This record gives sequence, structure tokens and C-alpha cells, in this order.
Amino acid sequence: MRQRLQLITGAILLMAGTIGTAPPAQAADVPGVTDTEITIGSFGPLAGPGYLYGRLAMNGVQAVFDTVNAAGGVNGRKLTLVREDDRCEPAGAIAAVRKLIFDDKVFAIDGGGCSNAAAAVRADVEQAGVPWIVFAAVHDALTVPTAPNIFSPALTATIESKAQVVFAQQQGAKRIAVISMRDSWGRSRYDPLMAALKTAGITPVADEEMSPDANDATAQVLHLKAANPDAVIVILYPKPAAVFLRDAAKFAFKPMTIGQSGIGDPAAFEEQVGVPGATANFNTIAMVKVTPDDPAVAHWRDAVTKLYPNDRLSTFNMFGIGSAEVLVEALRRSGRDLTREKFIAEMNHLTKFETDVYGGPITCTPTDHRCNKSPVWLKKDPGGAIHVVAITTVD
Amino acid sequence: MLAYLVLAGLTNSAIYALVGIGIVLIFKATGTINFAQGDVLMVAGYVAYMLHVALHLSYPVAVLGALAAGFAIGMLSERLAFRPLKSADTISLVLATVGLSFILKGFGRLIWGGLGDYLSFPSLVTDTPIMMGDIIIIPQQLVVIGGATLVIACFAVFFKFTPLGRMMQATADNRRAALLVGIRVDRVHLMAFAVGGALAGAAAVLMAPITLLYPDIGFPLFIKGFAAAVFGGLNSLPGTLLGAVAIGLIESLAGGYLGSGFLDVSAFLVIMAVLLVRPRGLLGSAALRRA
Repeated sequence: MRQRLQLITGAILLMAGTIGTAPPAQAADVPGVTDTEITIGSFGPLAGPGYLYGRLAMNGVQAVFDTVNAAGGVNGRKLTLVREDDRCEPAGAIAAVRKLIFDDKVFAIDGGGCSNAAAAVRADVEQAGVPWIVFAAVHDALTVPTAPNIFSPALTATIESKAQVVFAQQQGAKRIAVISMRDSWGRSRYDPLMAALKTAGITPVADEEMSPDANDATAQVLHLKAANPDAVIVILYPKPAAVFLRDAAKFAFKPMTIGQSGIGDPAAFEEQVGVPGATANFNTIAMVKVTPDDPAVAHWRDAVTKLYPNDRLSTFNMFGIGSAEVLVEALRRSGRDLTREKFIAEMNHLTKFETDVYGGPITCTPTDHRCNKSPVWLKKDPGGAIHVVAITTVD
Repeated sequence: MLAYLVLAGLTNSAIYALVGIGIVLIFKATGTINFAQGDVLMVAGYVAYMLHVALHLSYPVAVLGALAAGFAIGMLSERLAFRPLKSADTISLVLATVGLSFILKGFGRLIWGGLGDYLSFPSLVTDTPIMMGDIIIIPQQLVVIGGATLVIACFAVFFKFTPLGRMMQATADNRRAALLVGIRVDRVHLMAFAVGGALAGAAAVLMAPITLLYPDIGFPLFIKGFAAAVFGGLNSLPGTLLGAVAIGLIESLAGGYLGSGFLDVSAFLVIMAVLLVRPRGLLGSAALRRA
């Protein structure tokens, strides 16, 4: 009788214990997670003009993963990167992301190089609930309104546009002109720029337009020169921007020009402009505060060179390095019993996290997933070095 | 301001003319629009880049390389996208050249897409602007205008005074008659694509210092060249030249006097207006029929 009572009591206690502590999600239940591995997906252009924002950024992610894996991984699991090419096109991005989610069954995504392509996959990613760390795309539609599972340690178009106005004012510019593309990419920056100028009480002294494939900017330069601006805010791809500065130099028109992260490599841009001294007053936004030859990133330079012997560390590698550092930190904080819900919860409370590359600390909140608000300003001496001239933190 | 805008417009006109004449040449000989003409230019431009910038060979070698590459791709285009389908309907032929355009673009992205987003090609002459009276000129602009004029002049001589040129002219005028007098029309088609490709190669080295090089450069240039050809008359070489000059000038003057927002749209508005009044274009004759 006593033995039976003990058995019944034991069974009840066992059942109570079982009910009270539901089993943690096993690795097999979580997509992209095994006992030894976490699979992360990435998408972006792997070739073509946009490859800087895809392949090179992914190389940066891979460099971080290899470094983390060499040190034992994250909570005992190695990180594996799966890459998909979106060709910088919305249709390509949708196909790439669906493959990552449904075929490759990745745990999370660290990618998104081109703004329009990335914006096109927001609905798919949001619906699937896959955590997505945006590494380069700046389209506001990625983060506004806030999607529960999408976080951007990259800058956003509105933040950059606001920073352009703040920077112009900080440099003492009173008369500000604008030259912009008016396609989807350009509009995503032009509209918030105009709003920021209006908020600052500034009416542009000239407002010019260029097409992405323009080979001449004579008309625009003549209009801008006639307006006599202190600064020209440039919302153009590198090609039309190079044509603009080349033609501006032709007319000895050299105001301060203020670019954005679409022209993120001042050294390549100087070559594209091709006229000596034409970029002397050109400042542009970078997402990262360090130049590729900075001693502070020597370890990343070594890691990238080791993985890709024909490459030198570039600004675009660092987009991937920064986003991967954020990803790894949130994975680490999520612990060994990793789930997407835990990861998202950790991202939502990532506060003042310092990376090796971003201009300021990364802070995400449950209501604001624009986690980087510190554009970095770069300037290149004609034929010389690239300098960080300022870091503008905007709201 | 007018002088600056005219010079800028003429520089663009020269580029459009070189592309447009290549399109018209192939159309006159074969009755087909080669939608890959801009992409042939792109590949030839990258070949010149590899020779001149990557391998440090001289500019003339790069020019010859681009001409040879354009010529070879032109021949290949005829063999792959035209000859097997020459009895098919026009839509099939056009689609074949559209497909070829995508193949060449993919090839460009695969081979050269990783070299940089937009590659700069050194100017043949100094980059320092020069003064001509009160006008400031980038010397490469003069190279483009002068080079294009020279190429077009050579082309006119080729048509007028060489046997092959005359055969092409005869085939363009009346293919059936050309066949009857023993002209090998297949060979003429092959040479039309090849010479059209070489023309694209010449255009590539002239314009690359101004336009930069990137795998997607072909289509925007094709559209402008095609517009010049349609505007002038799709089967008229002088008409294409006239169309190119008109488009370049209209764009530039509209951008200067009406506002930069009108720059791209203005030329096409004028083209539409002209085509409504004269559907064959300014100097176009009756529509060609394929042999």
C-alpha cells in the first residue's frame, strides 16, 4: 500500500513537473537551427553595377561568420551563410527570399542590398516571420511602419536626407540647391529631403533633375550656377553624379556638394569623375566610420583578404561586417535554446551596441527598428586619402 | 548659354548617331531591328577597357580591339540570332535579338560586373577644359564629335565606293533583284551585322570616357539611337544622322530653356509629333520588305 502510494505520488509529481516546465523548442523544431549549426540567408546583387551592395557586403558577413566560427561559434553552433542573387531587381529579390525561406529554411536573413528590390520582399518576410537584418538597402518602406521581424542597422533614406540638411547647415551653407533623380530610388530620398528642408525653414535656390543614364549635365550646371548656391545636395547614382561634377568643373562651378550613401566610395567616385580636383568639395555619407586602411579594422582587413585573396577590404565589405556583428550579438544573447521569438525579443532591446564599423551605437526598440541614426561624412583629398569629417546623429 | 547647350547637344548627337546608324545599316540589309546593338557596344567597350586600362596597351590597340570585338560579335549575332530564323516572321526575329541582348548583358555582368559599379575609361586627350572663344570645352567632347564625323564619313565612302558597300546598298534597295544578279545575300546579311558591330565598337571607345562603362549601358543608348533612326526614317542613313542631331539638340535646349525635367521627355514628344504628320520619319522611304 505504501509502495503504491509512493508510486502514485511520484507519477503525480512527474506529471506536474512535465506540465509546469514545457520542453524548450528543440533545435529540430526551429528552421535553420541544428545542434551544431545556424543557417543564415543573404540576398543581394552578386554581379552587375550593384554587386558592391550585394556580393561585397556578403563577403563582409562571411568574414564575421568565419571569425566567430574559428572562436567556437555562437553558443556552441557554427554559422553558415547561404547566398542568393536578386540582380538588384524586385522580381529577383522575391524569388531569392522565397528560396531562402522555403527551400533553404534559413533561421534569419542578413541581406538586402538594393532599396527597391529589398522593399519588394518586405511583405513576404514579414508574413513568414523570419528575422531580417538589413545590411545595405536604405528604403524607408523597410522600417516604416515597423515590421515586428525586420531590423535595419543600415541607414535609411529619411535619416540620410535629414543628415544632408543638417550637414549643410553645420558647414554654414545658407543658399542650398538640390539635384536629384526622380525615379523610385530618387523619390525615396527627394521627398524626405524636401520635408527636412521645409522643417528647417529653407527654400532651395534651385531644384534640378537628372536621369540615371544621363551623359551630360550642362543644362543643370548652368541653372545651378546661376542660382549661386553655397551647397548642392546630390541625390544621384554615381554615374549621373560623376557627369554632374565633371560638367560643373568645366564651368568652374565648385560649390560644396553633399552626397549620400549611394556614392559611398569616394575613391572610386574620384576616378569616375575623371577631372582632377573636381571632387575637392564633395562630401558623402558612409554607413561606416572607418576607412578601409584604418588600423582599427586591421583584423577585418586580414579576415577579408584571407577569404578573398584578390579583394581589398572595402567600405561595402564593412556594411556586411556591421550587420553581422549585430546579428551575432543578438544570437549570443538569445542563448543556446534559440528561437526566432527569442532572437526578435533580443533585437528589440539591443541598446547602444557598439560595432567596429558603424558611426554610432546601434539601438533598436520595439516601435522603432531604424537602429542606426548616425550617418558618417567622408571626404577625399584630391588624389589623396579619405577622411571622416563628421558624424551627424539625427532623430 | 545657347552655345554651351548646342555643343553639349551635338556631343550627345554624335553618340546617338553612331548607335542609330548601326541599327539602320542592319535594318536596311535584313529588315530586322537588332535590339542587341547597344549591348554589342557594351561588350566592345569592355574589351577596349581590358586592353587599355587592365593590360596597359595603347589607345590605338584598344580601338582596334573594340572594332574587332564588335565585328566578331556582329558576325556571331547574325549566325545565332538571324540566320537560323531568317524565314521566320518579323516578331520571332526581333525576339531573337532581344534574347541576344539579354545574353550579352548577362555575359557583361558575369565577366566584368565585379570590376566596379561604373568603370572610368581614360580620355584620349587631356581632361582639362579648354577655352574656345568664350566657350569652355572638354576636349573629349571634340574627340567624340570629330571621331563620329570621321567614322560616318568612312562609312559613306564604304557604301559609295567599295564593292561590298555597293552590294549592301543594292540588297537594301531590292533584295530580290540583288539575288537575281548573283549577289550572295546571306553574305551581305553577315557583313551588315559585322559592320554594324564594328560601328558599335567605334562608338564604344569614343563615348566610354564620357558615359563610363557598366553592363547596363547598352539599352539606354539603343533607345536613343533607335529614336534617332525612327525620327529620321528607319531606312535612311542621312535621316538617322539628322534625327540624332535633332534629338541631341532638342534634349539639350529643352533642358536649358524649359527646365531639366523636360530634358528626357522633350525629344520623344517631338518625335511623336513628327511621326503623326510623317509616319515614315523625316527622310524615310516606303517600308522595306525582307527577302
